[in-house]
Amino acid sequence: MTNWAQVLFNSAVTGSLYLLSAIALTLTYGLSRFPNFAHAEFMALGAYIGYLISAQLHLPFALCIICAFLVSGLLGLISYKAIFGPLSRRGSSLIHLMIASMALGFIVRYIIAQIWGWASLSFNIIWPAYDLGPVRISAVWLLPIMAALVAGISMHFVLTRSNIGKAIRATASNPQLAMASGINTGRVLLTTWFLSAGLAGIAGLFRGASTRLSPLMGWDVLLPVFAVTVLGGIGSFYGAIVAAFIIGLAENIGVVILTQLGLSTDYRMVVSFVILIVVLLIKPEGLTRLFKGN
Amino acid sequence: MIYLLDMLVFIGIYGIAAMSLNLEYGFTGLGNFGKVAFFMIGAYTYAILSQAGVNFILCIGAAAVTSAVFGYLVSLPALRLREDYLAIVTLTFGEIIRTIIKSQGIGNGVRGISIAQAIPLHNAPYEVGVIANIGLVLVFLGLCLAFSQLLSNSPYGRILRAIREDQTAAQSYGKNIGLYKAQIFTVGSAIAGIAGAIYAQYVGYIEPDTFLPTLTFTIWIMVMLGGPGNNWGAVLGAAVVQIFQRGTNILKDYIHLPVDPNNMQYILFGILILLVLFYRPAGLLKESPVKPPKLKEQAHV
Repeated sequence: MTNWAQVLFNSAVTGSLYLLSAIALTLTYGLSRFPNFAHAEFMALGAYIGYLISAQLHLPFALCIICAFLVSGLLGLISYKAIFGPLSRRGSSLIHLMIASMALGFIVRYIIAQIWGWASLSFNIIWPAYDLGPVRISAVWLLPIMAALVAGISMHFVLTRSNIGKAIRATASNPQLAMASGINTGRVLLTTWFLSAGLAGIAGLFRGASTRLSPLMGWDVLLPVFAVTVLGGIGSFYGAIVAAFIIGLAENIGVVILTQLGLSTDYRMVVSFVILIVVLLIKPEGLTRLFKGN
Repeated sequence: MIYLLDMLVFIGIYGIAAMSLNLEYGFTGLGNFGKVAFFMIGAYTYAILSQAGVNFILCIGAAAVTSAVFGYLVSLPALRLREDYLAIVTLTFGEIIRTIIKSQGIGNGVRGISIAQAIPLHNAPYEVGVIANIGLVLVFLGLCLAFSQLLSNSPYGRILRAIREDQTAAQSYGKNIGLYKAQIFTVGSAIAGIAGAIYAQYVGYIEPDTFLPTLTFTIWIMVMLGGPGNNWGAVLGAAVVQIFQRGTNILKDYIHLPVDPNNMQYILFGILILLVLFYRPAGLLKESPVKPPKLKEQAHV
């Protein structure tokens, strides 16, 4: 007997994690127009910074969130300033930018492995768990949901109300025009990379807190996050929100179906991979049409 | 000594793989980020068939054909996509194949599969086996190099370059670019399959986690470093990367580094590739101009 309430709750958790990471990815993808594969390592770095603060320095978890955001964000900022910005100004092709992002990912991943080792680690925090009717809820699962809500709502207001948000949207839709109307596009790009990498760091932190940490942890969720980004429509913030929960649901329902069919649950990732490929082939613009207003 | 010989075999294997990527990316401009998938398909086809007792040439042939078929199937829908989408789709394809091999227990799944050496040498010392393998790899490397050189200097190769430079222009000359792309993707996959098969028989044991996306990236480093659009460059790139890898491994015996050499290697690879992208995007060897065969008439004039 499947506990559907639990499946729904799990989908919300998975979806929230993907959402945090995907709104970050979609911002830089939409603005810089290339898929940043080092996004995986931005996530992993956030998780390890959290580990450093919580498990090694024994400081409160709230501080982890702030530091993960700042450190990953700083890495994003530096990587744009030092690598992606200069490369795109030199007129590097899309493939060169993708390779550069993979190279950056390598550097960060192996530095993480050098500092913390390849063995998987875990936060030694015992999270309180509650039973809400048939659903088992652990506090560590509630955190990403809350973070996704906060990030989603604040991003909505930043993008629609604030000057920097408007500047981001203007730069994404037409960089030349944005520049001509007096927007400092260089600064917009730097801010976006900082925000994006910082959010990725938080997503990685929650992922690490609810499962385990390993240098490859970011890579493990990168492709589902790509699936969310693509399904939502690249650069579309609202699309990503809907897509995150679609992919979250698909994966968790997929697990139920897979167990009933007697197949390995390793295929849960394949569910999102298949969605990713199918969307790219059939409807590469994703769900953006649903949100024409933006 | 044995270490150097062993290195030569790997240079050969990766040289073949890099050449296959060079055909796709260097000449035609297709960013295949799932190279490892076709390498893996070749390796597994070879492993399973050779365990069943099929002879060597048939195994290699089957590895090439299976990889080619998968390459063709992937290329059909994928090649209509934009560059970044193609990259994501091929990358994802590799991960799907790896998950399937893992979960369906193909070739014993995660437990891996052992393969007998292609050249049976009973009681011969280990060195002899390695030297025999160098010969074997050299034969295939030579064949692939000759094939790639002929292909890239032929009119067909010129069309590929035209597609890379300007798809619309190539199309307006009446070239069916979709067809050419699919063909080169199929051929590239077949060559990657051959490399995978030789790898499997030499290493003697493969498991799904041998074929992580890291391998794809290593092959990309070889092509970018050696010079995209130059077949010798691909081989040179493979050699440089291998020597570099082995070099750092040897170095660790003499110099005590505070950093794990394996981690160090990949950090340096990352830095190296960034430097190449910044300062020498054309790679070590520049793309050679097309050498058409001399016409007899010209010789008389």
